[in-house]
Amino acid sequence: MKSKKLSEQIIRTFKSNGFVLSEPDVLLDSEHIIQRSGENFRRSMLTFENEDGKVMCLRPDLTVASCIKYLKKKTKSKIYYSGQAYRRTKQKGSDLVNDQLGIEILGSRNQTQDDYKVIKTILNSAEKIKSKNIQIKVGDISLFKSLIKSLDMPDRWKLRLIRHFWRPKYFEELLKRLEKNSDIDPVTFDTDKKRFYEMKKMNQDEVIAGRSISAILKRFDKKIKDPRSFDEGKKIAKIIRAFLKINCKLSQLDEKLLDFVSKNNLKKNIFKEFKSIRNLKKLKTEVNFITNFGRDIEYYTGIVFEIFSGKKEIARGGRYDDLLKSLGAKKNIAAVGAAINLNNI
Amino acid sequence: MKNLITIGLPSKGRLKDKSINFFNDKGLKILPSHKERNYFATIENKPNIKIIYLHAKEIIQRLGDGTLDAGISGLDLLNESENNLQDKIIIKQKLDFGNANLVVAVPDDWIDVQTIADLEEVAFDIRSKRNTRLRVATKYSNLTNDFLISKGVTQYKLISSLGATETYPFIGSSEIITDITSTGKTLADNNLRVLKDGLILQSQACLLISKNSRSKIQKFEI
Repeated sequence: MKSKKLSEQIIRTFKSNGFVLSEPDVLLDSEHIIQRSGENFRRSMLTFENEDGKVMCLRPDLTVASCIKYLKKKTKSKIYYSGQAYRRTKQKGSDLVNDQLGIEILGSRNQTQDDYKVIKTILNSAEKIKSKNIQIKVGDISLFKSLIKSLDMPDRWKLRLIRHFWRPKYFEELLKRLEKNSDIDPVTFDTDKKRFYEMKKMNQDEVIAGRSISAILKRFDKKIKDPRSFDEGKKIAKIIRAFLKINCKLSQLDEKLLDFVSKNNLKKNIFKEFKSIRNLKKLKTEVNFITNFGRDIEYYTGIVFEIFSGKKEIARGGRYDDLLKSLGAKKNIAAVGAAINLNNI
Repeated sequence: MKNLITIGLPSKGRLKDKSINFFNDKGLKILPSHKERNYFATIENKPNIKIIYLHAKEIIQRLGDGTLDAGISGLDLLNESENNLQDKIIIKQKLDFGNANLVVAVPDDWIDVQTIADLEEVAFDIRSKRNTRLRVATKYSNLTNDFLISKGVTQYKLISSLGATETYPFIGSSEIITDITSTGKTLADNNLRVLKDGLILQSQACLLISKNSRSKIQKFEI
């Protein structure tokens, strides 16, 4: 009962900050979720076949379910949700049912302001329920992207590192390959080159297993001109590792970044876009900035944060500007949100 | 009979013949039933052993539920089966036949795709340009999933196939496939090529026993 009372208090704070209740569907189309989250997520979903043979699932997550509802034009932009989500984990004995309570700003128009609004609302809720020793940890995935873009290496490597940033274990494997230049890249192009010239004479719009001949040849050509192997791998991996070690109080961040940039001979202006993080200096709460942070969820694209009471994480969230598009929106719809961890309060 | 041992053998093809040879070589002569198409057999002078011919996949299932005490089937099928089944089965011996590789194959004319790293790039490309996922047709969903994810290919969708998987890329059902191959001829004849680092599993026939039947089987020394 204690938790019910607490969540009621939290919801009151959400409402007074202008968030409106969204009640997303419990049953979702499995294919829709797989299309978004990938095949590996299938194991986490609780699915069944409906009478037509269509595979449905219980909503695995309220952020995703709320986004789907929003795309059906059935909710306001600033919403809160309170309900159950259902998913399996590999850990034996973990609950299938999770209570989730959180806020989202879907279709966020002002990044700095909305990021601040979400964090501030969560902090207000934490204060209302008298959480003590509140601290915030923040990171920003876009800073990592800015760094990678500024480095002197083949585009294909850049994209690869960015794509796998959220999978730290595989990312480490990539860094090792970068260091040792040990990527398998076929050296002998001869037979393929012969086929390349034959294919050049064919109808370029013809499709082979879903890819047009022109797309295949274009990529082949690009591969020859932009090989993945290059000499500077070791140096670049070192810079990336140094970047991922930055961990400081927000007040020292500017200084730390300048220091990092000059030590590694990088251009001074590569980290210009992090207003959202700088803006958090307005908060009275202690804020720590960590570059190697918020890497376990694929869909974050900007600021990520966790709010702690002592050592317990009581809320987490971040900006996810690509999620709605991947769920079927025709254009990019920016969004930011956070969820309270009810088990820890 | 309390001490009856039931052994499942593959019901078709080379795997069947080689399994029978394996037992014959050990001095356990398999006697077929009088009726040509009967699925049961016995072993000479071993009244306590019953042989049943089953689909190789079925042998794994029946070892898991305890209907069979022992059996011969492929490592690929065992590793593909659900964890709770695998937990109940022991590999007693790897046998020197039924060798085949589970591999990732792409159309020959995808000349720009030679490695898994290439596949990863193409998959992301398809995702970002068309907002769809690279479709991978397979009979081995679990093994394919684990392999692709571990190699950094995340942007794909599995299409489950029952057979003739090699046709899928050319009839618009998938873009690429994973399949089991021993000589590579079927892949090549269907204009498919194995990726340079596309080996998912080296499979072979295995003598398997059900965990619960361990003590019962030891007495018979098969």
